[in-house]
Amino acid sequence: MPQTPSQFTELPPIQDSLITKSSEVELATAKDCLPLLANPEGRLNSFGLPHLNRAGHITFLRSNLEDLLPRGFTAADASRPWMLYWALSGLSMLGDDVTDLRDQVVSTLTPMQNRDGGFGGGHGQLSHLATTYASVLSLVTVGGYAALNLINRKTLWHWLGHMKQGDGGFTMCEGGEKDIRGAYCAMTVISLLNLPNELPPEAPARADGVETFLAKLPEWISSCQTFEGGIAGAPTNEAHGAYAFCALACLSIIAPPNESIRRHIDIPALISWLAYRQCAPEGGFAGRTNKLVDGCYSHWVGGCWTLISAALQSEGSADIWSREGLTRYILCCCQGSAGLRDKPTTYPDGYHSCYVLAGLSAAQNVFKFEVDEKLLGVTPGTAAYGWTTVGQANVPGDEEDRIIPVHPVLVVPFERAAECRGYFESKIGF
Amino acid sequence: MSYSASPLWADIVPLPQDDGPGQPLAAIAYSEKYSEAMSYLRAVMASNEMSERALDLTSDIIALNPAHYTVWLYRVRILLTLKKDLHAELSWMNPVALVHLKNYQIWHHRQTIINALNNPDGETDFISKMFAKDAKNYHVWSYRQWLVKRFSLWDAGELEFTEQMLKEDVRNNSAWNHRWYVVFGRGDEAFADPDIVMREVFFTQQSIRLAPQNPSPWNYLRALARRASGPAALPLSSLQPFANTFAPLSAPDAVKSTHALDLLAEIHSENEADKDKAYQALELLATRYDPIRANYWNYRRATLEGVKTV
Repeated sequence: MPQTPSQFTELPPIQDSLITKSSEVELATAKDCLPLLANPEGRLNSFGLPHLNRAGHITFLRSNLEDLLPRGFTAADASRPWMLYWALSGLSMLGDDVTDLRDQVVSTLTPMQNRDGGFGGGHGQLSHLATTYASVLSLVTVGGYAALNLINRKTLWHWLGHMKQGDGGFTMCEGGEKDIRGAYCAMTVISLLNLPNELPPEAPARADGVETFLAKLPEWISSCQTFEGGIAGAPTNEAHGAYAFCALACLSIIAPPNESIRRHIDIPALISWLAYRQCAPEGGFAGRTNKLVDGCYSHWVGGCWTLISAALQSEGSADIWSREGLTRYILCCCQGSAGLRDKPTTYPDGYHSCYVLAGLSAAQNVFKFEVDEKLLGVTPGTAAYGWTTVGQANVPGDEEDRIIPVHPVLVVPFERAAECRGYFESKIGF
Repeated sequence: MSYSASPLWADIVPLPQDDGPGQPLAAIAYSEKYSEAMSYLRAVMASNEMSERALDLTSDIIALNPAHYTVWLYRVRILLTLKKDLHAELSWMNPVALVHLKNYQIWHHRQTIINALNNPDGETDFISKMFAKDAKNYHVWSYRQWLVKRFSLWDAGELEFTEQMLKEDVRNNSAWNHRWYVVFGRGDEAFADPDIVMREVFFTQQSIRLAPQNPSPWNYLRALARRASGPAALPLSSLQPFANTFAPLSAPDAVKSTHALDLLAEIHSENEADKDKAYQALELLATRYDPIRANYWNYRRATLEGVKTV
């Protein structure tokens, strides 16, 4: 069995002597991870890492969906569409067919769709962009016309028009906060559902001369890049991995990444910032400078690399990041007995299961962006459909540790994204 | 007492949760109390009721589930419509915020209230209590930025505050981000002010000396060099002697900071005659001091060799 490189079994060679709160928790985390990285236990693959516990993760996510969740989950009562999406998305990546859940997904989400067109976190809850995004993606992930037809596209288009702001950004809900999640969630939904780029006539942003969803949007995203090179949730906030993904993915929906990311992002500064998010000795990613490794950034930061490669048009050339490191962190440190987790000291949950697996998809696969120029610019969001997988990356995993590649921008199964977009493109009017 | 038994609520027909026609997914075993309160909430929201009892109902639900954005948004509308005492609202919500640190509805709510009050008194003290529990809380720092801008608190001890936070933990990157905001967030003029830029260079270099492997001040320093302009211009090459202290290329065993090596690689790449030094720094990073980023350092090397990728 190949020996584990020392960078994953020892602390980095340079350690400052000054101890602060940040360095204490960082050291503690490294000490929690090192034994799991150096001496993995259980059934090991041919690289000496634990196998992907596919059956265990499927059981965990199915239980998240189908069992009655205990009272402690009341805190998630405003996030039930998310619970659906995380589980369905995770199951799909694990190769578990979720079409048997289609009727239940439609039935569960029906009372959450409001008359104004958006989806709330539950019945009687206000429409919100995050829960609208999670609802739409859940329906797309189970697929089929019965699921897609649940969405009232015309009223949703009107509601989205109220989220668009005069400065180009989006608020998460009426009277809610404005941040880059709003932009990503809105553009993902607009792209999947093939909604018009024009704002509805009553949209408040029209008063500021903003007439389309795309107007001033790339510029607003650009203003979120910080002095560190990373991207914040809103201008001047701290650079953060989840927001970096939202920014790059949103730009990749607006136009081909080699145009939009190049034009609106300082790429060398961002690449440097992203590269520094990979943690040693753990191999996984942290979300901010001097914060701890966390499995969910496997996707939020790991997923950025696919989009950066497309922006540089360097797919297939040498990687800029360590796929090996991320794979080791995921297989050694993020797997509980069932479900995936932030780090060894935490419990698995749906959120981490989904985004750890999406990160594994980014580590295991080489994606390529190529789009028919004629299709671009016809309707917004066409650029999201230029992605294919062109091969498997060289990572320490066996065939049985491989998961089904997830769409690098839309984070739904490839064929489901195409099915949804194709279905709504074929419709005349709403 | 339950709502159904209360005479105050006798005129309301509760609206139970519709779980859809089939077996619901991700269903939660609510407590009876929560279930009932939510049924009354759906009913009063459906008629857009703005009343004392509706306000009390939102308090009850927030106590049971503070991560409920709908309740917070409804609550603030009631408060503003009924012209309630917003100071009382702050006193009510303070303990909620301190217990539920990661909840960001609370911070958005607080922002709306303080904005309506048009008075930030006491806010920075309250924020300090939050930071004592979680010094890197993203929502609290965002809120503090808003507060500074909204009430023009730029010179009201804000720079000293970042110094205090960094004195407690020089690796608190949120505090570094806030410092950048306080110093340069008012406009680009500060980038051309030699006094300001030199003060920041000095502060940053002092911080680096405390812990040379701390990335935060290095990021800050490099950004200063990138953005300082006019009479305050700070060429990257001027930082070479400082970086050398922590990463002498002539004594590779004595390297104390990968960030110094990174900076030296960039400085030396600007000059054709020094490119071999840039290669040396990148080589040390890739093979000896920072192998987790070996691919990145090799990518930097490739861009140096003229494989233009961007």
